[in-house]
Amino acid sequence: MFALARNNLFRSRMKALMAIGGVALAMMLVLSLDAILAGLENRIGAFVERAGADVWVAQSGVRNMHMASSAVPRGLVDQVRQVPGVAEATPIRYLTNVVRSGDQDYIATVIGLPVGATMGLPNALVPGGTMPKSGQVVIDGAVGKAGANVGDGVRILGSTFEISGRSEGLASSLSSLAFIPLSDLDRMLGNDRVVSYVLVRAAPGVSAESLSAAIETRVNGVTASTRTQFAGEERRVVRDMSTEIAVIMNLAGLLIGFAVMALSIYTATASRLPEYGVLKAVGASTRRLAGVVVTQAALTVVVGLVLGLIAAYATALIAPHLDPLFDLEITFASVVKVSLVSFAVAALAAIAPIIQIAGLDPAVVFRRRIA
Amino acid sequence: MNTPTLAVTDLSRRFGSGPTEVLAVRNVSLAVAPGEVVLIMGPSGSGKTTLLLMLGALLRPSGGEIRLDGEVLTNRPERELPAIRLRRFGFIFQDFNLLSALSAIENVALVGVMGGMSSKEAKARATDLLTQFGLLERLRFRPELLSGGEKQRVAIARALVNDPTFILADEPTANLDAKNGRELMRLLRSIAKEQGRSIVIVSHDERIRDIADRVLWLEDGSLKEMTALSVDPVCAMRVEQEKALISIWDGEPFTFCSKGCRDEFLQAPYRFFPDTAAGGRHAAALRDAVRMETAVGAV
Repeated sequence: MFALARNNLFRSRMKALMAIGGVALAMMLVLSLDAILAGLENRIGAFVERAGADVWVAQSGVRNMHMASSAVPRGLVDQVRQVPGVAEATPIRYLTNVVRSGDQDYIATVIGLPVGATMGLPNALVPGGTMPKSGQVVIDGAVGKAGANVGDGVRILGSTFEISGRSEGLASSLSSLAFIPLSDLDRMLGNDRVVSYVLVRAAPGVSAESLSAAIETRVNGVTASTRTQFAGEERRVVRDMSTEIAVIMNLAGLLIGFAVMALSIYTATASRLPEYGVLKAVGASTRRLAGVVVTQAALTVVVGLVLGLIAAYATALIAPHLDPLFDLEITFASVVKVSLVSFAVAALAAIAPIIQIAGLDPAVVFRRRIA
Repeated sequence: MNTPTLAVTDLSRRFGSGPTEVLAVRNVSLAVAPGEVVLIMGPSGSGKTTLLLMLGALLRPSGGEIRLDGEVLTNRPERELPAIRLRRFGFIFQDFNLLSALSAIENVALVGVMGGMSSKEAKARATDLLTQFGLLERLRFRPELLSGGEKQRVAIARALVNDPTFILADEPTANLDAKNGRELMRLLRSIAKEQGRSIVIVSHDERIRDIADRVLWLEDGSLKEMTALSVDPVCAMRVEQEKALISIWDGEPFTFCSKGCRDEFLQAPYRFFPDTAAGGRHAAALRDAVRMETAVGAV
């Protein structure tokens, strides 16, 4: 019966191509969307992961950067430094604003770094660049990608900064990063009383968990998170923000897949209904014929899924070359989810043809032209 | 007669009820011995298809009994019938009814697999049958690449793959040319005689009479032996001799279905036998008479 299901599917190459291609396209859409979101989550957490801090100290109740505001009185920085187990503490200040390059505005996280900072630095400076001095900026992301080079000027909060360097690997497709001296940011914001976060490196042998607990105990009005917790919260925020979009897009992709599959299986069965009648007449049970339809649907899904996976992986490989801010990460969980849903969709798509076959009277095959 | 492969007793089938009730098959009794070929003929609407469907366990009779190899089929539950059809019946259809997506060997093997064979066994059996039927070179061909005769031989192989004792053929020669029709008839006869399978053929094809052990005539839902019937020379209907109108012409008796046919015949009997000596004599006389009348008219 497998041969019958296989041949029914592949007998007409054009129909098979359309059915499998439609399923593959839908699966690729769903997988790619998941991969885009997973890539975005990774990118969003990249600065936190690579900043070099074991513990992030923020205003009480603040546990992430994205879509959050934190103000830690500058006087608390020294208190943090004095907590046992703290090897080093670097205050940084940040805000989300736009960087204007030429006549284009780019959403960017502007980070103010103190002189001599050892944490929270740009990730990998492109050769030829230097760390920013007063009036200078290091950019990461869309601004640099748009063609701004070292020596060019960009405007941040109404002031002009000269690009002293470019870094890579921290910005996402949602937002670029701009590193400027903390003193410049203080001046533009009109005060130097607060910082946003204190980045803390633990002394050798001290765990991030115990250190963050110690900081919260000894310093009032702050929340200390380990790097893992802080990055996790950062990703959770993005995930929460994109969940509805992801669900809608996933549903749209799966509905397309379902429609294509249901239509192709239904038409393939309907066009061969007399042949199913012949098989019923010679003694095939409805259950056996239902098995043919289900096998055909499953084959469509398996081949469509494999092609969809290949296409999604190819897209994931090509996309960063076309746009370095665009990371697609195809996760195992996503593949499992899409596979399971696809098979459920195939089972649903097979229902109508099976009902059609169940209601078929084998007696009609007598004196009916088929082959 | 040996124990019949198929024994049918008082088989009837009604459709509808009350004033719209139609009795398509009425009290048909029939026994088909092993190795016997029975041909059932009859005009359109006589109940042939209904009888065929009941004999093939595809339609439940309203009354009567069908036994296959001594086992009563008519009381078996519906769910058991497909398996019985699969293993104990062979079906041959007018339109071949091969599955277009499968090759010749796959068409035959599929039914073997459905009947419980392993894929390997079914393919070996299919190859064997198709080779016997001269289709060794066509094993991998799809139906669209086969001739009508080849398709029907594949269909016969499919009917035989599960080694049934009883084969039911519906107009098996209808879509074949004369040569392929003759070959098919020879094949069916050899299957019956050499393998001891019983074959019931429903057909309009007079040629099949040559291979049939018995010819039955179905009319108005009832079966009659063809030997007890004769043909009305006017309308070609088969009529029971006992109930027919009989007239003698040129020293021979002729039977008629109605007074109208008899009167039409008696007005000019030679018209119905142009090839016989008597008919030719009369036709020549008629032509002479017509020529004379035409000449007189011209004067």
